[in-house]
Amino acid sequence: MIVVSVATAVLQVLITAAAILGLVIVFGRMVRRARSARRTRLAGPARRTLLALAAGDNDPAVVDALVQLSSATWWAIEPTAIALLGKVRGDAHSALVSVLERRGLARRALRDVHRHGAVRRARAAEVLGSLGHRNGVGSLHRLLADPDPDVRVVAARSLGSIGDPASATALLNSLVGPRPVPPQLVAHALMRLGPDAQSYVQAGLDHPEELVRATAVEVLGLVGAIASAGRIEQALRDDRSLEVQVRAARSLGKLGTRTGLGPLLEAVAPGRAPTLRAIATRALGNLGSGAAVPILVELLADPQYAVAHRAAYALLRLGREGHAALRAAAETGTPAAGHAQEALAILELEERRRDTTAPAGYSSASSVPQRVAGG
Amino acid sequence: MTAVLIADDDPDIRDLVAFKLEQSGFDVTAVEDGLSALAAARKQTPDLALLDVMMPGMSGVDVCRQLRSDPATAALPVILLTARAQEGDVEVGFGSGADDYVIKPFSPRELVNRVEAVLARTRT
Repeated sequence: MIVVSVATAVLQVLITAAAILGLVIVFGRMVRRARSARRTRLAGPARRTLLALAAGDNDPAVVDALVQLSSATWWAIEPTAIALLGKVRGDAHSALVSVLERRGLARRALRDVHRHGAVRRARAAEVLGSLGHRNGVGSLHRLLADPDPDVRVVAARSLGSIGDPASATALLNSLVGPRPVPPQLVAHALMRLGPDAQSYVQAGLDHPEELVRATAVEVLGLVGAIASAGRIEQALRDDRSLEVQVRAARSLGKLGTRTGLGPLLEAVAPGRAPTLRAIATRALGNLGSGAAVPILVELLADPQYAVAHRAAYALLRLGREGHAALRAAAETGTPAAGHAQEALAILELEERRRDTTAPAGYSSASSVPQRVAGG
Repeated sequence: MTAVLIADDDPDIRDLVAFKLEQSGFDVTAVEDGLSALAAARKQTPDLALLDVMMPGMSGVDVCRQLRSDPATAALPVILLTARAQEGDVEVGFGSGADDYVIKPFSPRELVNRVEAVLARTRT
């Protein structure tokens, strides 16, 4: 009897709880729907004015109309204005920024970066980045060490959008520590900082942490930091980390400077680490110097498959001289011949494809350009 | 009046592009997905189609391929609009038969210039 009573009571409690939960859900949806409908109603006429601004109309009347909108109407269209900010560039972007600044968005974002909720902080960081708000750089530097990983990611991305060169050091430092930012995001943000940030990024090559040096050397290669070529060559020769050496080799290939040839040739020497040899071999092809041809021909017969294979592809990139070397190697009947034949097959496919798309009179023969003459 | 078909699932972009093109004197039809774009183009062939690449159901690249494979719309000038700026993505876009490729974020004024340039090129 007691068991039945208890079960009935429990059932009643559960049913009541389910009913309350259902009511809360229905009420929540109704509120959201009502807010959305109100927002749409309020935004209606102002949306067209906002579109005129985002379309690049430099009409001061449009700007004034948006600045003078009532708070309620602005509340309704502000999300659209922020969304459009990330979708347009040029005059349209500048006009949007101007209106959003005058409506106090940056001021609110600077306040919100200190909020308790991570979503508010992330949104504030995003807004500061979209606005390109230089006064927000200090706050964003602090958010790079935020307890929430998503906030740190947004802060890094926003620093890249703002493009203040001095942010490079803070971004590099954010790679290490108890609350790190993922390296690919840091690298991407660093790449957006522009040429003035290269000296800061180069300074990262002296950092005690391997990850910082590796990221810095890679970014220098990706942005084509020719002025840092000497320092990258030094990293390839002297850095104690294999990872940094490997990335330095890759970066030298991307930079294509004459002085990169010597360090890369040293890096492919038989005593060096296999990974480094393979990457340096490929970099020799990217460098585009005909002076690398004899070494690459030797590497075709290297006992390490990755090195021999990449030597063939490197020769493929070296134009007429490299192709002639591949043809000679393909006839030898040695293990090198297989790699050479594979590369030549690819060359043939590329030339056929080019011939079918090139305008009449254009010949694809030996059309692979040489980036560095002599060497 | 020159008719332009816009397909983009993002209402902000769709409205903005429609606004700018209408302001520039074009007759605009805007739809929100690839299938609707295909249906609209087949019902009444526009002078140019401006297609977002990433759309639910059918991508802009797929719509472009379908348009090219249909004799009625094979010559329709197509501009792809996308946030995907990688070399490979651009190659896929042109490989589908698109006449131009506009990368987001874009300048609305430049977009109109591109539309006018493609129309001028395809009319000669």
